[in-house]
Amino acid sequence: MTQVQLKNLSKVFSGTPAVDAINVDVACGEFLVLLGPSGCGKTTSLRMVCGLEQPTSGSIWFNGQEVTNLPVQKRKVGLVSQRFGLFPHMTVEQNVAFGLSVGGMAESEQKRHVGEMLEIVRLTDFAGRFPAQLSGGQMQRVAIARTLVTRPKVLLLDEPMASLDTLLRAEMRQFIRDLHEEYGMTTLLVTHDQIEAMDLADRIAVMFDGRVAQLAAPDEIYQQPADERTARFMGHSNIFDCTPVSDGYVESLFGPLKLGAGSNRGLKLPRKAMVRYESIRIVESVDQSQSNVVSGTITRAEFLGAMMRYTLQVGEGFLTVEEASSFKRKTGEAVSLTLPPEQIWLLQ
Amino acid sequence: MMRTASPAFMQNLRDVVEMTPLLVVLLGLFGGALVLGLLQSFGYAPWFGINEFPTTRYFERLWLSSDFWFSLGLTLYYAFAATLIGLVISVPLSIALSKRFKASRLFSALIRLPLMVPYTVGIALALVMLGNGGLLSRMSAGLGLIDDPSQFVQILKTHGGCGIILVYVWKQVPFMTLNLSAVLARTGDDTVEAAMVLGASSRQIFWRVTLPQIMPGIVSASLICFAFNIGAFEAPLILGGGYPDTLPVLAWRYFQDANYAFQLQGMAVVVSLALVSGLFLAAYLQGYRRFERARGRV
Repeated sequence: MTQVQLKNLSKVFSGTPAVDAINVDVACGEFLVLLGPSGCGKTTSLRMVCGLEQPTSGSIWFNGQEVTNLPVQKRKVGLVSQRFGLFPHMTVEQNVAFGLSVGGMAESEQKRHVGEMLEIVRLTDFAGRFPAQLSGGQMQRVAIARTLVTRPKVLLLDEPMASLDTLLRAEMRQFIRDLHEEYGMTTLLVTHDQIEAMDLADRIAVMFDGRVAQLAAPDEIYQQPADERTARFMGHSNIFDCTPVSDGYVESLFGPLKLGAGSNRGLKLPRKAMVRYESIRIVESVDQSQSNVVSGTITRAEFLGAMMRYTLQVGEGFLTVEEASSFKRKTGEAVSLTLPPEQIWLLQ
Repeated sequence: MMRTASPAFMQNLRDVVEMTPLLVVLLGLFGGALVLGLLQSFGYAPWFGINEFPTTRYFERLWLSSDFWFSLGLTLYYAFAATLIGLVISVPLSIALSKRFKASRLFSALIRLPLMVPYTVGIALALVMLGNGGLLSRMSAGLGLIDDPSQFVQILKTHGGCGIILVYVWKQVPFMTLNLSAVLARTGDDTVEAAMVLGASSRQIFWRVTLPQIMPGIVSASLICFAFNIGAFEAPLILGGGYPDTLPVLAWRYFQDANYAFQLQGMAVVVSLALVSGLFLAAYLQGYRRFERARGRV
């Protein structure tokens, strides 16, 4: 297993920094996801780790050895890209054997390894087919098999599920998770899909404008985002201005709100607070033990399948709430809400 | 009650009407000329006072002459050699063009330049540069490599055809390069990068990844260039080694003869040339289709 370190890694294209001095440590066997919107530098970072792009400055280390200037052929990494890069003129079997064949492995050995790998990715029956005769999911499995059969030190996945439909994505996520558990290979995945990132990652590095905004475990990034941009990128949330008034309380346009112990309450200056849609609860009856109870009127109701999304006018502001769709409420209905103190997070 | 025509029928009718001008030109000019040429080669030319149709004597006279086979060999040799050399130069050029480097735009413009220069200018340049009184021979004499420009190695006016092949290559390399560059652009970098990450060397990538992928471009470019080379007559006429000439030059000489009756012999040459060329191209295409089928692409 391999530890990967990116030290002050930068890449500048025609004077514009694509990656700006990022520092990331990936532990042996860890599944790290680089998450961010298009153009944030995540793919460029991955391509630098791979060796397909030369950094402008900074260095890349595998197990304490610098590989920054090592040619891509010698890095022993595996890459599965968004468009898979399958060789269209080769069969599935020939595609999977390619890495072994160029490495000079004997043909009988190649056949054995390829056979085993095709069994793992459940494509034994498709060995003689050409890429054009496969579905998107099958092509992705061929690309993964072709990479894994060479036993790379680090597995790099560049939006490998971007071209798949929703159902196939869920299936492939499970497949990638199983493979990672089985092989325990250090893995870096690039995606702009936060669900995919949270589902697969041991840790997530959220990137904006070529920089890492936050590097932490998925639940920490979701519940306690470093800043407003990360909070918005990681999912739907109510973000509103507030001013700390006393220890454990803030003043907001919804009135005074009590904070929980883990609400980042050490921050003193006026700032923004965040509450996720699903953290706010609509209550039928109010009792004295409940904190942060506010009243509002439903101005908009959206059916999302399993959930209903309500937009409510609360005082001079608006809050959005998600609730199981079994509770059907109507526009214009007056309701009471609680904002659990532990679910309010003050943003940096 | 009157029945109305179906929309599909009306659409077909519209398509035929829209295609009519093109069909008239194709069938009338090309098809008509082809039929007329065939008829002449079989002895039908009443406008010259000859009507021996059907006779194969023009073909017999041609095919039984050893000069014809020499001319055919010469024609095929120039066409094959120029196409092959053109490909050998164009493939690496197109790969180089697909990469970005500092002078890539200038490089690309320089490669395209011969496309804009007429063939005859290329032939004239070859005469000026490569002839025994040309620039190279004079320079060689000036540098003391030879005593007199006339001692310079004979490049033009030989059946070796260096000058002819050189002009063909000079003219068709840009065409082939652009054709292959378009295929490379469509293919993208994904497979090359995948091969690199899998540990393949540049040589392995070229032979096992790039070349098979640009094969459709190689086939189409070489087909077009070969078909052109086999039928071209200006370069062999001006730069060739003289009698026996290539088949297009032979045909041209028959057509230029004061005796109109030779036109029929000329037509037999043209039909023979078309037949041989068609057979070669069909065999080449058939071979390529088999190659593609073996790779699951057809």
